[in-house]
Amino acid sequence: MILLGLVIGVLAGALPGITMLNAIVLVLPFTYLMGIVPSLLLMIGIYCGGIFGGSITGILFNIPGDPMNVPTTWEGYKLNKKGFVSKALGMAIMTSALGGFFSALIMTMASPPFAKIALSFSSCEYFAVVFLGLASVVVIGTRSIGSALISLFIGIFVGTVGMDDIYGVPRFTFGSRIMETGINFVTVLIGLFAIGEVLDQLSIKDKEAGEVLRTRPKTQLPRFGELWALRGTILRGLGIGVVIGAIPGAGATVASFVSYGVEKQVSKHPEKFGTGVWEGLAASETAINASTGGAMIPLLTLGIPGSGATAVMMGAFLLHGVQPGPLLFTKSPESVYTIFIGMLICNLIMIITGLFTARFFSELMRVPENILGAFIIVFCLIGAFALRNDTADVWFMAFFGIMGYFMRRYALPIPPLILGVILGPLAESYFITTMIGEANDLWVFFRRPVSACLIFFAIGLLLMPMIQSIWKKKTDPAKAQ
Amino acid sequence: MPITTAKGQGSPWTFLWEIKGVLLIFSLALYFYSLASQLEEFSPPGQLGPAFWPKLSLLFLMIGCGIKAGETFYSRRKKSAPEEQTSVSPPANFLKLGVMIGLIILAVIGMETIGFLLANFLFLILFMRVAGVKKNFPLFLTSFLGTIILLFIFVKIVYLPLPRGQGIFNDLTIYLYRILHFI
Repeated sequence: MILLGLVIGVLAGALPGITMLNAIVLVLPFTYLMGIVPSLLLMIGIYCGGIFGGSITGILFNIPGDPMNVPTTWEGYKLNKKGFVSKALGMAIMTSALGGFFSALIMTMASPPFAKIALSFSSCEYFAVVFLGLASVVVIGTRSIGSALISLFIGIFVGTVGMDDIYGVPRFTFGSRIMETGINFVTVLIGLFAIGEVLDQLSIKDKEAGEVLRTRPKTQLPRFGELWALRGTILRGLGIGVVIGAIPGAGATVASFVSYGVEKQVSKHPEKFGTGVWEGLAASETAINASTGGAMIPLLTLGIPGSGATAVMMGAFLLHGVQPGPLLFTKSPESVYTIFIGMLICNLIMIITGLFTARFFSELMRVPENILGAFIIVFCLIGAFALRNDTADVWFMAFFGIMGYFMRRYALPIPPLILGVILGPLAESYFITTMIGEANDLWVFFRRPVSACLIFFAIGLLLMPMIQSIWKKKTDPAKAQ
Repeated sequence: MPITTAKGQGSPWTFLWEIKGVLLIFSLALYFYSLASQLEEFSPPGQLGPAFWPKLSLLFLMIGCGIKAGETFYSRRKKSAPEEQTSVSPPANFLKLGVMIGLIILAVIGMETIGFLLANFLFLILFMRVAGVKKNFPLFLTSFLGTIILLFIFVKIVYLPLPRGQGIFNDLTIYLYRILHFI
């Protein structure tokens, strides 16, 4: 299952129009008849493989499979042009696997004690954690605070549609029975990511969507000495990837850019970055896959998805009756250890899979985008229908698909909306429960040390762009302009 | 007072046109806010009630719209060179887009009325044609084989009860399933 997941993930990451998120969503209907363990292993494989897959098209064709692969593309494609394509692919595979493997080890060691602490949390602390997650989404990974806020609060509002869990009152259902059950966030995910992307790609003016790529890549793994020379870069990438991955809302894209930026700062030759340097490629790739282990820590221990990818993973867990959170470690330890072992093995196998699938990509990339797009939409229709065997979900999915297209066109970020749909109901539930228990006393969030720290941290994150802007103006007025 | 911006950006109307999406979202948020206010009658005494959270989210959504409008306004003032105002996405063929969206909507209607089998086959043919597949033989073959393979996977292996359509189309789908040995 891990191997299959890796192959699907790497292919999805590398294929135009499909991302790792789409792949997880698309295989969901297939996992209905599987047990929890094979389903989890399959999805972990797709998660880890998909994170790496986008780098291949970046290195080969200067087309990053995902925004997180952009820094890899900056250096990888230049290395390709310099004649190091095989080695660049090999370096990307190896550093990705190393980052993923060690972050999985860190996750294995850090998650159980973290879960024990999390068990002592009340609804107050949980609200603070979710609030931090929501605050992180707004600040990190988007250039426009206004756009991120709009996207996030649309998501939170969508999460309120349906029967209210606490008071049992239907909200915004317009008397419809279908609306009373609420909008399943999987339909939102499928629509926004898959349908929106297909429409965006295929509607581009004068684009030859039937174009077929002809390049056939090969891979050559780096020697130990070459990796040893990059040990500092890999360690920094690992640290940045795990820490940023663990912050709810940050994810692999932020980790990749931060790692690349830090590497450029510490490099003796920062001017060479962007012309094809191994440090840039290794820093970005290590951080991308290191963020997978980091992102799983808040997901498993608190039930808070740290990124769009882990939000989809959380959806997949919930569909299989696995409720992420501190109780997961006592109620369903087999699922936890499956995830731990699965991620460790996954990153080891990824080296072999990466080597052998590279040639395979060239063949699959020959499927023209216009045929691929049609089949992606059909898979989405089936995926949405399979949720409850109800065409109402297909309608929701189609609606969010069209909305996803316009969000892309008008540069509204999609991940905040997704996290809003997922975190919004959680935040509401924790907030209202706390308020009922504490007689609407808002100060309770500041009286408890953990929630106070988290809320102050969240407020700090919200104020960060303002502080950065003032700092820039003071230090470099010209640059700030 | 006219907004002082780069050339071609002097009119407040152009600014309003630029933020038309934001204005639409703001109007919708305002409408839903008024709907949410009606939920207050269900609030138990001394509690926040079911209206609180949607109202809060809509209020912040409106604030977000205000911030976005402010960002757009200040970015207009900053920009002086026309090349800085490049579009985020490459230009779209809106006719093609409209037809593709229409086909997706028709596919969903088709799933309910004529059944997944026929709706999917027709959708694949039409969508791929609109998307640029020109040759008829690969178009029909891909659609036919694609539909059969998808049905085999989801009906025969996964036992997913894909919609069979209504009336005569239900009978037709069952007949085709029998021919294909799916039931």
